[in-house]
Amino acid sequence: MGMFAAADELPNRYAKVFLIDADGNRNPLVQLSPDDFDVLNRALEYPTRENFLRAASLMAGENWIPSFQPRPVLNVDINGQPVSESAKSFRTMVPSQLRPDRKLKRPSIEIQFWKLVYDPLTRHVRASLAETFLFTPEELLRSSREMKNS
Amino acid sequence: MKSPSSSRVSAGNSGRQPGVSPISRSRAASSRLGRFVEFAKNLEMVQTVSLLMLVLVTIFGFDDWLFRVVSRVCLFVFVLHPRSLRRPQFWFALALAGTISLVMSWERIDNHKYLLDYWLWILFVVHLFGQAEQQQQIVRFSARFFLCLAFLAASGQKLSSPSYRTGAMFEHYLYVDSRFSAFGKLVGIDPSIGDSVKRRIMFLRSPFAEVEGNDIHIGGSGRARVAALVMTWWDVSLQSAIGALLLFGRRRTDELAHILLLFFIFTTYIPAPVFGFGWILAIMGFALAKDQFPRITALYIVSFVAILLYQLPWRQVVVGV
Repeated sequence: MGMFAAADELPNRYAKVFLIDADGNRNPLVQLSPDDFDVLNRALEYPTRENFLRAASLMAGENWIPSFQPRPVLNVDINGQPVSESAKSFRTMVPSQLRPDRKLKRPSIEIQFWKLVYDPLTRHVRASLAETFLFTPEELLRSSREMKNS
Repeated sequence: MKSPSSSRVSAGNSGRQPGVSPISRSRAASSRLGRFVEFAKNLEMVQTVSLLMLVLVTIFGFDDWLFRVVSRVCLFVFVLHPRSLRRPQFWFALALAGTISLVMSWERIDNHKYLLDYWLWILFVVHLFGQAEQQQQIVRFSARFFLCLAFLAASGQKLSSPSYRTGAMFEHYLYVDSRFSAFGKLVGIDPSIGDSVKRRIMFLRSPFAEVEGNDIHIGGSGRARVAALVMTWWDVSLQSAIGALLLFGRRRTDELAHILLLFFIFTTYIPAPVFGFGWILAIMGFALAKDQFPRITALYIVSFVAILLYQLPWRQVVVGV
């Protein structure tokens, strides 16, 4: 926010990031490092596929370990109250400083770009999915090499 | 930088003397005020603008390491050799470092930082000229140009944005943006309302929650609604008035524009912690007012101090962190 201001700015934009492993397991990345956040926020400020690819390749370069226990997805009503657990569940992915003990196939990354719109008359906040970006392992590898060379 | 004032006042310690009448105390105060206005009047415009810009880039400059290093080196050079402030190379180094910072992270930089970089380039150009009159003309022209451009473009953009016009932006920020928490509390918005709104919005953001229809009722408060509408229209009306009044270039309209600009600076940066923008606006106002309005010039100097005082951690005290 500065001289020019509107609601469609970073505070009202966010991303949901999913790691998709070679077996097709899809789990969200929520424990991002400050560097991950920085690059992701840059992409949210200027949401192009190229900028989200930079963020995705940075995250894909980390060693993500799934938690043992899956965590159920909560159903939440319109008043913001959790009402039940849905049938869907995800594993929390934890970044590890250790290298993987065996050679793993590189994952894909899906980034969902969301926007929030507040309606002051109804006092409702509505989230809408602006775009979904899917980055293949090859694309992530290529981008990661380019980032290292630049 | 300044020429010494010749007036000497004997009532400097009058507040401590017993039996001094209120009339002589008020005379002493007005004489101190007079000396301050005289001091502001005697400042050399280009050198004062240069010094204020150096303070600005040192405290509120760009965040990357290159600019931080260059600005601190420049400060160090200035402390050792104050005349370095008049050298174009000094300003070229700062302007170039600023431009590199902009290019490196242009997606994330606040738009007033672009204004800051333009001003650094202007000071570089100004110091290429040897004559004081030419230097002052360039500074005055640039100040008027950028004040008109920034305020008119900003108010045009805001008026064209539906989410701004409806007050939705400020109301939402009053709930969720921590920079507005202290101001919200000052105007009577209970912090628990903001916390509740943030908690509900977290469900929308979390991949571990599915909100019915991706739509959530946030509660909120009527007071926040009124505060947001006041902030919205106060901001856009002041900005458009300042920009429009400065277009005329007449003494009367300029004076009114300065009064509004000072009001804008003194009030905006209490809730909005965008101090670098406030400081650069005050520099431009100071440059424009300097040779025409001595009292207004003195008020601009007070505004620099006010902007620094707004930095004190009063927000944490108000919010109770």
